[in-house]
Amino acid sequence: MYYLITIVVYASVDVMSCLGLSMQFGIGGVTNFGFIIFQAAGAYTAAILALPPDTANGGFQSYLGGLHLPFPLPWIGAAVAGAALALPFTFLVGRRLRGDYAAVGLLVTAVLMNLLVMNYKPLFNGDAGLAIVPAPLQSQVMTTTTTAYQWGFAIAVVLLAGLVYWFLRHITESPYGRTLRAMRDNDQVADSLGKDLRSLRTGMLLLGGAIAGLSGAALVSFISVWSPAAWTYAETIVLFAAVIIGGRGNHLGAVLGAVIVPVGFEESTRLIANANPSLPPNLLPSLQWVAIGLLVALFLWFRPQGILPERKREITLPGSTARAGLAPAAATSVAPTGATLPMTSAGPVPMTSAGPVPMTSEGPVSSAASAISTDPAVPMGPAAGHDVVLQAIDVSRDFGGVHAVSGVSLAVRRGTLTGLIGPNGAGKSTLLALLAGTDNVSAGQIMYHGQDVTRVPAYRRARMGLVRTFQLASEFKRLTVLENLLSAAPGNRGDTFHGAVAGRRYWGKDEAAAIAKAAAILTRFGLEPLANEYAGDLSGGQRRLVEIMRALMTEPQMLLLDEPMAGVHPELARRIGRALVELCSEGMTILMVEHELAIMDEFCDPVIVMADGTVLAEGTMTELRDRTEVVEAYLVG
Amino acid sequence: MTIFLASVGFGLITAAVLAIASVAFTLQFAVTNVLNLAFAAIMTFGMFVTYWVNQAGVSVWLGLIIAMAACAALSVVLNLVVYAPFQRRGSSPITIVIVSLGMALIIEFGIQAYVGGVNVSYTMGQGTTYKIGGLILTTVQLVIIAISVVMMVAVYALLNYTKLGKSMRATAANRTLARNCGIRTSRVITTTWAMTGALCGLAGTVFAIDIASFGPTSTDLFVVLILAAVFLGGPGHAYGAMLGALLIGLSTDVSAAYIQPDYKYVIAFVALLAMLAVRPSGLFGARA
Repeated sequence: MYYLITIVVYASVDVMSCLGLSMQFGIGGVTNFGFIIFQAAGAYTAAILALPPDTANGGFQSYLGGLHLPFPLPWIGAAVAGAALALPFTFLVGRRLRGDYAAVGLLVTAVLMNLLVMNYKPLFNGDAGLAIVPAPLQSQVMTTTTTAYQWGFAIAVVLLAGLVYWFLRHITESPYGRTLRAMRDNDQVADSLGKDLRSLRTGMLLLGGAIAGLSGAALVSFISVWSPAAWTYAETIVLFAAVIIGGRGNHLGAVLGAVIVPVGFEESTRLIANANPSLPPNLLPSLQWVAIGLLVALFLWFRPQGILPERKREITLPGSTARAGLAPAAATSVAPTGATLPMTSAGPVPMTSAGPVPMTSEGPVSSAASAISTDPAVPMGPAAGHDVVLQAIDVSRDFGGVHAVSGVSLAVRRGTLTGLIGPNGAGKSTLLALLAGTDNVSAGQIMYHGQDVTRVPAYRRARMGLVRTFQLASEFKRLTVLENLLSAAPGNRGDTFHGAVAGRRYWGKDEAAAIAKAAAILTRFGLEPLANEYAGDLSGGQRRLVEIMRALMTEPQMLLLDEPMAGVHPELARRIGRALVELCSEGMTILMVEHELAIMDEFCDPVIVMADGTVLAEGTMTELRDRTEVVEAYLVG
Repeated sequence: MTIFLASVGFGLITAAVLAIASVAFTLQFAVTNVLNLAFAAIMTFGMFVTYWVNQAGVSVWLGLIIAMAACAALSVVLNLVVYAPFQRRGSSPITIVIVSLGMALIIEFGIQAYVGGVNVSYTMGQGTTYKIGGLILTTVQLVIIAISVVMMVAVYALLNYTKLGKSMRATAANRTLARNCGIRTSRVITTTWAMTGALCGLAGTVFAIDIASFGPTSTDLFVVLILAAVFLGGPGHAYGAMLGALLIGLSTDVSAAYIQPDYKYVIAFVALLAMLAVRPSGLFGARA
């Protein structure tokens, strides 16, 4: 009987930790190889908060605190400690550091923390650890060894694990969760869409740390001892194995993985060892590690998505649900449903009719975004004047000794579809990156709406309405087409941690408005039938289209497109071109890098020619064709 | 003063062993683009190959040669069977890091399953003890330092004066471009695995000689020193790794003389995290 209780408690603890890791790794793409130290920290905190002062038991063990707090407080303290421990590591998950470097940093941290704890006696009692940690409510229930108490404990921990599952699911299925998955699929692109990677990843470290701490508290309260030898970095690999085998990005998969790997493996090896007492003591634990290593590699090769793959989030478009009479979310807001019938309103659908919706909403993010999107609302429109939106003044970028861009000055006027051409290596893409803020200038100035944005990071420029696309396909692969679009919608109240916690009632309206806007854009580009397909499964041309549509979702005032038609079927390229011209006639400003001269001929005016990092000429294609230096640059370059 | 000089002596040997391992690790990463966390496990394999050969009555130094060959073979096979297929499939760097951790478990605990958990030693003499200006070093320790210096010079010569070295640098800088320039990158990569694998076996054996008594999990902490040295110098920079190994090796052992020896790794740890925070491309790397 006791054996069964033990398994239930261990399984629940493992389920909780795997869920925490599933959130960090499977949803947020944060590879925390130091996960175990958060659990250890939570367990230690719970122990010292529950224990009496260390002089009480004759001082045979030394530790901090010893506050002897009543039951729920040590566990809450454990969660807080787990989260607090994450804070010093937030520098590892910033924008600049590669994910695998950060993972190495966390791995080394885990190894070293364990070493320190084992050796520093005054603080953690060295490798002896802590013993006789009081069980919850020990002073209230006279004895904690009865089966009834043990069962009560087990059931409580199962319920706690269930609560953790429910909470993480609640977060994951919100717009905030979608943003996390977008960051996981492609962080640089998420950055360019206005997502603050550092704060998102910090959120993941804190949340995962809190859950790890809580699971540690549950474990230490049950077994009543805390031993540093139990928290080696290899235990983290077991949890990773569980999440990978169960299914990344699917919290149910994490639960399944927890039951299969840590619980199933430990128990089966113990059973085998009991049945064959003649085996050398080290053999089975060693083989267990070998098996875990093999399983990780085999699963990553044969079934990288795990046993339970990530669920596809299908969202019914409001247009089709209206016919069926369902429309659960969209029916609540009147304005966006108008926008779902773009066939009737031939005008500037995404810009005007869907535009005001986020402005009405409140919240910290949306207010910042709407403050910016209000100012262009007035001068925008087909009749807008030809004032300068974006200006580069003597901009340079050096890579080592190479001047990729040197002394470029140019101005892009409102409502134009400006083309940027030049031979390979002319510096077009670099210039685009400088303008968007994904790369920093070596010298010079970038002005946007007359404001100096040279030092403004990419995600902030995106929030100001200056949005870029990438030369290489940059869709979020494991998000559907519709989700790709929704991930870019600015000012969604559910796109923050506290918004996600507040739930659908808090952000449902914003979400419905975003869906309506996305539906309108999908209709404009004729991609409605593919709305619920994974973006990673589309053809090359369709993916470029997704990228442009996603950029439009941010309500940009200016788009920077890097070869949007490269490798796209000519017919589809035409359609993209026509759509871009139409957007410009509605007041959008576009700067487009393109190789195909025919495209420039048909759609772009004016065209800027670059060669060797400088601007060679500017004018209509007809004018440029008569200029010898332009022709030469192309022939020579 | 004597404590200081004695600890410098220890530091020099640690640095010598560390330099071999770090240079091999960083070259492997630069050319093959695999952050191979199974490196320390392969070192363990090398030290045990030498042990097995040594148990058969053969000299440690001959065993060392055999261990180098064995580790070169293991590294090449590991790449052909595991890493290269994952890379061809376009797996993300983090996936490959996780796979390499899985390989580390398989190799390290495979050895443990075979040899058991007890520590062993080589059968060898330490030679005469020399006192050189306060430094106290045995013949064997001097040989280790000499091997390391020769290896560093050899790596320098390889990278600067041979066609293979230049091909390696080209492959590291831009694999596609190197291939288009007529460099057979797949052959360069296989050669790199063999070469760095051999260095890994060498590092494993001299590490085992240095610590005298070793077991299957002895390299668990040494990998922290390797990573610290590599990241201090900048991942992928051979000379950076040499400098990093010297700094980490000396600082850990000298500090161990004055604080509790168990904390000597803390210096490496702080150096690693500080580099990751401030300058992830390392002392030798380009500005981030």
